[in-house]
Amino acid sequence: MTLSQIMSNAGLSMYAEVALVLFLLAFVVIVIRTYLPSRRRELEETSRLPLDDGTVVVNPRSSAKRGRTP
Amino acid sequence: MTPAPVEVRSRSGEHSVNTSLDRFSYDDAIVRQFLFATLIWGVVGMLVGLLIALQLANPWFNLNTSWLSFGRLRPLHTNAVVFAFAGNAFFCGAYYSTQRLLKARMFSDAMSKFHFWGWQAIIVAAAITLPLGYTQAKEYAELEWPIDIAIAVVWVVFAFNFFATIVRRRERHIYVAIWFYIASIITVAVLHIFNNLSIPVGLFKSYSIYAGVQDAFMQWWYGHNAVAFFLTTPFLGLMYYFMPKAAEGPVYSYKLSILHFWSLVFMYIWAGPHHLHYTALPEWATTTGMLFSVMLWAPSWGGMINGLLTLRGAWHKVSQDPILKFFVVAITAYGMATFEGPMLSIKSVNALAHYTDWIIAHVHTGALGWNGFMTFGMVYWLLPRLFQTEVYSKRAMEVHFWIASIGIVLYVTAIYSAGLTQGLMWRAFDQTGRLAYPDFVETVVKLLPMYWMRAVGGSLYLVGMFIFGWNILMTWKRRPSQYEVPVIEAAPLSPRYVDVEPVAPVPAGVWARFLHAGWHRRWERMPMLFSALTLLTVVVASLFEILPTFLIKSNVPTIASVKPYTPLELAGRDIYIAEGCFNCHSQMIRPFRYETERYGEYSKPGESVYDHPFLWGSRRIGPDLAREGGKYPDLWHVRHFENPRAITARSIMPAYAHFLTEKLDYAGIQKRVDAMAMLGVPYGEAINKAEAMARTQASVIAAVIASQGGPSGLEDKKMVAIVAYMQRLGRDIQVSKTAAATSNAGATTP
Repeated sequence: MTLSQIMSNAGLSMYAEVALVLFLLAFVVIVIRTYLPSRRRELEETSRLPLDDGTVVVNPRSSAKRGRTP
Repeated sequence: MTPAPVEVRSRSGEHSVNTSLDRFSYDDAIVRQFLFATLIWGVVGMLVGLLIALQLANPWFNLNTSWLSFGRLRPLHTNAVVFAFAGNAFFCGAYYSTQRLLKARMFSDAMSKFHFWGWQAIIVAAAITLPLGYTQAKEYAELEWPIDIAIAVVWVVFAFNFFATIVRRRERHIYVAIWFYIASIITVAVLHIFNNLSIPVGLFKSYSIYAGVQDAFMQWWYGHNAVAFFLTTPFLGLMYYFMPKAAEGPVYSYKLSILHFWSLVFMYIWAGPHHLHYTALPEWATTTGMLFSVMLWAPSWGGMINGLLTLRGAWHKVSQDPILKFFVVAITAYGMATFEGPMLSIKSVNALAHYTDWIIAHVHTGALGWNGFMTFGMVYWLLPRLFQTEVYSKRAMEVHFWIASIGIVLYVTAIYSAGLTQGLMWRAFDQTGRLAYPDFVETVVKLLPMYWMRAVGGSLYLVGMFIFGWNILMTWKRRPSQYEVPVIEAAPLSPRYVDVEPVAPVPAGVWARFLHAGWHRRWERMPMLFSALTLLTVVVASLFEILPTFLIKSNVPTIASVKPYTPLELAGRDIYIAEGCFNCHSQMIRPFRYETERYGEYSKPGESVYDHPFLWGSRRIGPDLAREGGKYPDLWHVRHFENPRAITARSIMPAYAHFLTEKLDYAGIQKRVDAMAMLGVPYGEAINKAEAMARTQASVIAAVIASQGGPSGLEDKKMVAIVAYMQRLGRDIQVSKTAAATSNAGATTP
């Protein structure tokens, strides 16, 4: 008996719906977690990451200075 | 090279667990290289685009040269703008932002260089092989197997370098832009490997291991997600980094960006079958594709609104800053394209739009507006930072913005009109119930003014591209004699996560602890696990959708009378593939009266079970060919290939007179039949004598052509093979009908 015969007779037509429900549940968990009040500070900090390129300590051309890169 | 860490006392308020800070620098040389590659390939890809636009407006532009014909150049245009222009733009932005977001230099400069030069070599290989007719006939996956392997190798090196940089990062949290890059890198690898599985029959020829319905399913699972994970998610990552940079403020809602990410990753992978509505694909699959596509509306618009609202409090800057103008139009174009995409996936809308220019207009709203303008805005923002001087001309940036915007409007307005016009003309019936425009060429001629308008719009966009290039070069010329390489200082990542502020105590009770979600916070700090979960999401969704057509027999019913192509027909099919005929001709008649009236009985899944690869097509610039066999005499095809306008005065098809002079490669036929047999095509006696069978059939066809008044001596020319293939198309169903009629007649005869 081939794999395709086994799969054809296994009655798997419901599996797509099962996958849909699983994905939906996972998504709901993500939504709940994202909006937990306890995460507010962490997410606000993370959102500012693009604005911080690191602290420049040595800038060969200009005088060495400490400061945020533009 | 990363300088060795030096002992520096941490200042108060910084991560208190670290007593030393690392000093390092970012690799911006690689960013500059990708920036120039973006410019060069953008110009090349758009020039080819303009040429093929002109070829549709007037076939003279095919220049009677086989390697410059529309069918061969169209894939070159799409590959150049998608993988070369947009690809290099993504790499340019990703290398710049990743290092800064992770506070780490790329793991290996050598790997970055290998990625850059490997990718450019792949593009050069594409630019040479596609015009020569080496193609797998799968949209956006045309490149032949050796180049596919090279892509996989270069991609793996890029991925390794990227993930190793994440592992060596100095920033605990992974910003959402990096999530989008991770999803793109992983998913593109999965898509590329599985869609390109094929059996080679020579250095530049292969057959897809999938056939017919299954091949179509794989291809559009790939094709749709190539758009999603090569043109959408990478550019969303760029948006989430460069938009806050340009607006000088954080993204409007970081929470929304998280939901944007996960919804796209969950949903996009399911949406592919909407490219195959009303085809021979099982209906459950197309319905699933439609539902997920419509659901994508919400997260896409959430992301679009999030991008635009990042400008809160900074809207006044837009009128002054051309970079923000580019970003605003790019994000608006993303909104328009992601509104239209779900709309087009609705079956009743798709019935009108599919195979027409409407889809081309949709794609160009996204490509020119979203990808193009995001790239322009990003590059203009990068120029002073990478070349360490002022941008040469802000005025030229403004001119570029306006000229390209007008170009987009002219392009898409013309092509939306063309798409609607053609879709409506195909389905029009007159008062007597007959097709109002039975001659296909009537529906083409009507579009020519719009094709000229498209060429004008495209030219304006290309002029903008030249201004862009001029401004980049002039800025580059003003660069300092030696680039500054600032040394950055950041704390190394502690092996143990210690929050700098006291965290609320873990609550009691299972549910309360779950909601506290410390477990997920740990996941988020584990990039490899995060990547594995993303991979799992994509793979599980793909398997649930694709596997049934492979493993459940009722999904692809077979038809007893459908037989493999003869060796000569197979050779003809390979010529059809090499010339890129599938770029203009579909082989899939949808079950609508206006289609069956025009072309004949609708296509069945069982008809293409031996088609490695499938050739259903996605656009009808010429008529469908699924039932072409037997419609015209052999000589008609010979004359038509030699000069289409000798048969149909206003045809825009390129001439294929070289079929009359170029010799057919008989010696290679056996190898091709053997490869097909290896893929499970029941070739019977042809496995041993394919060449002899091909020569016998060729001499019969050549004799018929000569007897009809055509040229003689075509036995060893490509023309006999392509005519054999044309005359075979759709005939197997007619055989079954004739057989059924005969048996019925036999049953009723006393």
